[in-house]
Amino acid sequence: MRCRFIVFSLLLLALPLRLAAQEAPYFVTYDHHLEEPGNLEFSPALTLGVPHSDQRFTFAPYAELEYGITARWTAELYLEGQSTAGDSAIFTGFRLENRFRPLKREHRINPILYVEYEGINEGTRIQKEVVGHAPGFDVRNAELRRTPAREIETKLILSSTVKDWNISENFIFEKNLSASEGVEFGFSFGFYRPLATLASAGKCRFCRENFTAGAEFYGGLGSTQSFGLQDTAHYAAPVLSWQFSDNVTMRFSPAIGLTHESNPVLLRFSTSYEVRGVRDKLARLWGGR
Amino acid sequence: MSLRWTLAIAALAATLLAQNVNYTQDPSWRAPDVAAARKNPLEGKQNALGGGGKLFQRHCVECHGADGVGLKKAANFTMAAVQAQPDGTLFWKITNGNPDHGMPSFSQLPEGQRWQLVLFLRTLKRESPVVEAK
Repeated sequence: MRCRFIVFSLLLLALPLRLAAQEAPYFVTYDHHLEEPGNLEFSPALTLGVPHSDQRFTFAPYAELEYGITARWTAELYLEGQSTAGDSAIFTGFRLENRFRPLKREHRINPILYVEYEGINEGTRIQKEVVGHAPGFDVRNAELRRTPAREIETKLILSSTVKDWNISENFIFEKNLSASEGVEFGFSFGFYRPLATLASAGKCRFCRENFTAGAEFYGGLGSTQSFGLQDTAHYAAPVLSWQFSDNVTMRFSPAIGLTHESNPVLLRFSTSYEVRGVRDKLARLWGGR
Repeated sequence: MSLRWTLAIAALAATLLAQNVNYTQDPSWRAPDVAAARKNPLEGKQNALGGGGKLFQRHCVECHGADGVGLKKAANFTMAAVQAQPDGTLFWKITNGNPDHGMPSFSQLPEGQRWQLVLFLRTLKRESPVVEAK
């Protein structure tokens, strides 16, 4: 069962679909660029947690469906799972996310408001955000899947474009509705830049313009019950994205744990397929214009 | 299927069906004078034009059509009213978008690529032959 789960996740990542994506290379940090209205992006992704010597590897695939409702509103659905070496493979839940752009024009600092509902359980290991205190890794999946974690997560995203560099800061507030943990805090900060700023005339896979590189830093800041850096996980992560074709972008990030409570290394992979004009296709299907 | 899943699927279906196709030219969508006065640094650089065509195919044809005449209610780039706008204005409009009228911001593109798009838009004048991306 677990083997099939891992193989299926890897196949999704390598799916050679011909389905553009000028994707930010971040995995955790968000910038102020929303999905284009009417477009649907499908992103299978994977977080591989390399453990301390007394712990076990975790393999956490997730699928992300991102849709541009308007030019100022993007919604996303996540479905996620997890497999731990020597333990079982489990489905860890779903997330429904919305991002809103309150300002109409580009500014020096562009705010985005983020609201997410997480219907997950404590087995989640995708580490899409790092908040509060670091979780323990010594509990069996059978027990983790029985512990729900229905959470509301909000973020204030601030993002700037400075001479082709993107610089983004995210401030995270998360409330677990299933347990009394107070409000947990976290942050992320990142920057990236394309390796070339002009597009070449011909189609090319390995041109510098197709690569974007940068770094992100993220971690927990405790909670209202215990604010601070004690027992928190923090990571520094180079990020790289490769625009493989007009509609396919691949991303990779090896995150290095900075505290004892962090995983020593997190390896993140993702492939994004963008399907353009989904709204119009659906409208035509149902007899619209 | 639990109520939670039903609600989640209903919310997803509602967002997929939401429409934003009522594009109309917004008279308030005007570039500030300073932005409109900017010159295209790639002006006359023919080698940058092909890249502009490629970017146009990738980012613009979905709404504006392969020949730039504008599908649905998106702007028609062949119109004199569009071509009369200075390079700086077109660059500003690409950068900022007009989100309330369906035009997204393309500030995620490097500045050079946005200027390449402006360069390509100039080839869509009715009296000029359209330059194809190589």
